[in-house]
Amino acid sequence: MIEIKNLVKHYGDKKAVNDISFTVKDNEILGFLGPNGAGKTTTMNIITGYLSSTSGTVKINGHDILEEPALAKKDIGYLPEQPPLYNDMTVEEYLKFICDLKQVPKKDRKEHIDTITDMVGISAVTGRLIGNLSKGYKQRVGLAQALVGDPPILILDEPTVGLDPNQIIGIRKLIKNLSKNHSIIVSSHILSEIQEIADRVVIINHGKVAAVDTIMDLSQRLSGTSKILMSFKGPAKDVASRLKMIPGIAEVSIRNAGDIGEVEFVLALKAGNEVRANAFFMMAKSGWPILEFRSLNPSLEEVFLSITAG
Amino acid sequence: MTAIFKREFFSYFRTPVGYVAMAIFTFISGFIFYTQFASGYVSISDEINSLRSLFIVIVPIITMGMFAEDRRRGTEILYYTNPLEMFSVVCGKFFAAMALHFVMFINVFIHIIVVNMFGGRTDVGVLGSVLVFFFMAALFISIGLLASVITDNQIISAIVAFLFILITQLFTLIGTYCGTAVSTIMSYMGLSLEDRNAAKNGVASVISWFDPFAKTDAFASGLFSVSALVFCLSFAIFFLYLSFRILEKKRWSQK
Repeated sequence: MIEIKNLVKHYGDKKAVNDISFTVKDNEILGFLGPNGAGKTTTMNIITGYLSSTSGTVKINGHDILEEPALAKKDIGYLPEQPPLYNDMTVEEYLKFICDLKQVPKKDRKEHIDTITDMVGISAVTGRLIGNLSKGYKQRVGLAQALVGDPPILILDEPTVGLDPNQIIGIRKLIKNLSKNHSIIVSSHILSEIQEIADRVVIINHGKVAAVDTIMDLSQRLSGTSKILMSFKGPAKDVASRLKMIPGIAEVSIRNAGDIGEVEFVLALKAGNEVRANAFFMMAKSGWPILEFRSLNPSLEEVFLSITAG
Repeated sequence: MTAIFKREFFSYFRTPVGYVAMAIFTFISGFIFYTQFASGYVSISDEINSLRSLFIVIVPIITMGMFAEDRRRGTEILYYTNPLEMFSVVCGKFFAAMALHFVMFINVFIHIIVVNMFGGRTDVGVLGSVLVFFFMAALFISIGLLASVITDNQIISAIVAFLFILITQLFTLIGTYCGTAVSTIMSYMGLSLEDRNAAKNGVASVISWFDPFAKTDAFASGLFSVSALVFCLSFAIFFLYLSFRILEKKRWSQK
């Protein structure tokens, strides 16, 4: 668990981080978002002990990063924006060196390195010099070093930069799998990626926390209420009156009625209700086929733009 | 510390740095030995004393990348975000450079063996010279390491280390010049010759006190002085500690 309280970092007169507080629960993926220069990297550098804060505290599994740095750092795996790699070492030599730094017992090293290289898909290049690897491989070697020692907390700054689409999907799956027994902070500019893997997001802007919530709650908060679009074939008036009888639907409004009998309704939902299954059975019973269900809530991208604009 | 030591020591041989340093040292020591051998009189102490003047070239080559290169490639972050003491990182790098000096020095050990094979003898002066070589190496490596900590650029780091070591080598000369300058100023002020000479000698002796070469010259004759070794060692530790503090300060920097 990571607990960040009232974190402040000054660079001269500029407050790079201004009173940031949030927590990351066990086995949770937290998306860390913000425009360039918002203070994301500075915050992550403070959490990992690379930088000190001007004030505020960071606790890693109960250990303060400044007061008990050895205990706190033992629990962290960090992939910075620029992976910390030695081009003159082979991947295997490098990971052995990281094992030394993280005090992985010697007898477990080979198996541990084999497991990690398999996980991130670099088994084929362990004997190659890091300097001769492609950007995608280098990024994955950087990710591998964060996993050495199996730290319960992972902090990943842009983990999929430089990867091809297949590798991105692979790393996403890996992060999702790791979240079963790791707390993970992921920073990325690819919002669809965060939307797919994060349980919650923290959006920071101008060094301050602008929002902390699940993506759905943020999206609902922005739109005021949760809405879904339902497209079907059937008599609009009858369908509307039947839909209104389903608990959880606050309002039904017609959005479009086509010539071929296709109708689009917007269903406004009461907070916390899931109505699609009931609507489906009701429509199926009446013989009115549903052609599409789609959420009309703002995407993470829209939420991000609305929060960080201005 | 062992991890950093291993990484740094072997990195000298993954890049040209270690080979260049070894080539320079081996060539010069070989040349000195050959010249002596050809003349029919070999003094290993003289050879080692001459090799001490190579510190000004070799130490900047070895130390210029120690921290400056880490900063450039972003690997510095590993030292701060892993459960390591920064002082152990500094020591690991320092001992790696010392170990490289030991490897370079194997050439001189071979010369000693050759001398003994030809009926020569290794006296206590040789032992003293070897001892001084490594103590002075420790001092100059710590100076080079400090130069690498205070600059972000390897070339600038090498130049700073070069200048620091140059000044160290010239302390006696600098002392003499400064003494003369003080004496000259005092003569314009109308002070007596006796006062001027006292001031001149005082200034010269204070500055030349810092000259590690002058302090250790007698070792080659078998006259050992613990204070000279303590001088080298204590300044080496001081520079290492200063490097550590500067690295820590960078982390707390508010700029």
